Amino acid sequence: ASDNCSKMLKYRCSGCIAVRKLLNSRNFSKLLHSCAYLCDHHKVIMEAEDKYKSELRKALICGKEILLTPRRRQLSKES
Amino acid sequence: MFQGQRGWFCRSVSQDLRQFWVDEGGTVSDVQAADFLFSCDASHPDTLRIYQSLEYIEDNATVFHAYYLSAVANTEMKNSVALGHFVLPPACLQKEIRRKIGSFIWEQDENFLVKKHDRI
Ligand SMILES: [Zn+2]
Repeated sequence: ASDNCSKMLKYRCSGCIAVRKLLNSRNFSKLLHSCAYLCDHHKVIMEAEDKYKSELRKALICGKEILLTPRRRQLSKES
Repeated sequence: MFQGQRGWFCRSVSQDLRQFWVDEGGTVSDVQAADFLFSCDASHPDTLRIYQSLEYIEDNATVFHAYYLSAVANTEMKNSVALGHFVLPPACLQKEIRRKIGSFIWEQDENFLVKKHDRI
């Protein structure tokens, strides 16, 4: 565990060093995305979250399309 | 220390930590108005709602583990605690992340935090 800590101290990205005064739940994600050299810790978290978000986005769009597709037309096409 | 800042707290966050936020000048607000989102449990329904919100999808809502507050409470150099290390990702991602980077900072420090927690 402490090995992980020292790793984080050795290499710090903007996600690590940004002071809290300039940082909040609203801008943190954007800050990570704008950082060119992320540390392993933030890179892994950001990539995982991005994947999750894009899946959620897809699900959201699909959900909307299903709602928007007129059911009747589908049925008439089949007959 | 948290003067003028609005925090939202998942119900998984203990009263002590919420009180610390208020004692340090922060205010407690609803999700929409909050600058900071704190949770102790990524699978709590309150927090899940954030992970499923449009705000989250659009990168406008990062949830932080509320142990950040106890880390701040337990150190002399309060501003030296890096909030950025306390990102709380959705529960379904934690296993994968842990496999790549080892345990999260709030897991590493859990014992230390709990022990000192009584003092708050
Ligand atoms: Zn970092």
